Amino acid sequence: MDTIDRYLNAVAAQLPQDERADILAELRDLILSRFEAKEEEVGRPLGEEEQEAILREIGHPLVVAARYRKGPDSLVGPELFPYWLFGVKAGLLILLVVQSITLFIHLVTGPANAGQSITQAFHGYFGSALALIGAATVAAAAAEHYGVRPKWLTQWRVKDLGAFGLSDPAAWGAAVAGMETPKAHPAPRKSETWPGGEHLFSLLATGLFLLWWIGLIHLPALGQLGLRGEDATVTGAPIWTRLFLPILIYGLIRLSIDLDGLLRPQAIRMRAVGEAALAAAGLWLTWTIFQAGHWFTLERDGQKAHIAGDWLMLDFDRLRDLADGPRDLVGVAGTLSLVAVWVLALIAISLAWKMFANLWRAARAA
Amino acid sequence: MAVDPDLFESMKLELRRGSLVMAVLACLRTERYGYTLRQALAADGLEMEESTLYPLLRRLEGQGLLDSEWREEEKRKKRFYRLSPAGTEMLIALTDEWRGINASLDKLL
Repeated sequence: MDTIDRYLNAVAAQLPQDERADILAELRDLILSRFEAKEEEVGRPLGEEEQEAILREIGHPLVVAARYRKGPDSLVGPELFPYWLFGVKAGLLILLVVQSITLFIHLVTGPANAGQSITQAFHGYFGSALALIGAATVAAAAAEHYGVRPKWLTQWRVKDLGAFGLSDPAAWGAAVAGMETPKAHPAPRKSETWPGGEHLFSLLATGLFLLWWIGLIHLPALGQLGLRGEDATVTGAPIWTRLFLPILIYGLIRLSIDLDGLLRPQAIRMRAVGEAALAAAGLWLTWTIFQAGHWFTLERDGQKAHIAGDWLMLDFDRLRDLADGPRDLVGVAGTLSLVAVWVLALIAISLAWKMFANLWRAARAA
Repeated sequence: MAVDPDLFESMKLELRRGSLVMAVLACLRTERYGYTLRQALAADGLEMEESTLYPLLRRLEGQGLLDSEWREEEKRKKRFYRLSPAGTEMLIALTDEWRGINASLDKLL
């Protein structure tokens, strides 16, 4: 096999089968023409090194073959890149917040184990961040490959751009502190809204949750709790296994409603009905979780304590004593039980509000 | 202040990129095969890498702007390209556009 054949074989392996013979015939003619022109110039046959120098000028086989590709030249092209970057930045910030809250709980409940908790948090964050970047890149590459361009890429409106500010951590701080962020112009007048912005953020958050729920993203720090320098293991109660599928379906429906909000921002009524039904399903899930009465188990050195509760714990007096609770396994479980009961109650109130608000929206849009 | 040579090269490439398609279409008013086309472009001061030119020829042919034919010449089969009727129309439209841009730039420069 001579130099030209070796070069062309390397190119051929990268080319689509149906065009391969045609492209190779043309390349072979080009190479032979270049060789002949050089031989004429030097007045003798070319040596192997001279031939290789010409082939190097023509280009590396991978580069030459890539120029014949019909699809996109990059995984994330210049049109999609800003959206990819926003998605990754916002996702990384959400992960950072989740990881920071987890770390905070660990540090508060077991300060002697701070080093290990911080290491676990870093490990968890970087693992999840890589998975997130990979998932975003695969999604963008698929959109590039199939030429998918959702409507919200082109039919956006200035007043719906608020969610995009959330990729700036300073905006989060300002929002939490209740401060107004600096505005370049007076606030736009209220008019019919396009729900694309809110759906984009919800889509990211739900997507991340579902990846974690089905085990594609691991947050190892969530499974352990530091208590006075020793690790306590946190295991889910049987209710989570029982509700695995309903919660997965709930998340997938949430995801599809958000996708619909992005792709068909004007279908307000139908989506409001869907949101109301989903909120009702969320209420049922919350009620079922609450009724189970046992949500997690803390375990250390063979000792177990349940994170569990009932309606009687919805008492403001008990909230006042929250900070003074004992720091042993049973005490921490009691504190977390109280927090869990209140969180479930607030979720139920928020879902009920969402259900009625969306029913009202659907009725008005009719 | 002296012009940054790297920046100049990069901006020059950007400037040339859009005009190369027009140059190829214009050059193929006369039938040529890839190697002689590249030589003709180089003779007029438009050097072009083979790895850019040959895929570009296939793309233009796929878009219906060029016709091609395999023929034997100098004891070897070569693929000859020439401007198609659609390519001729496109070249006229692009030339008008080019002259318009040129006139606007001349006023600015």
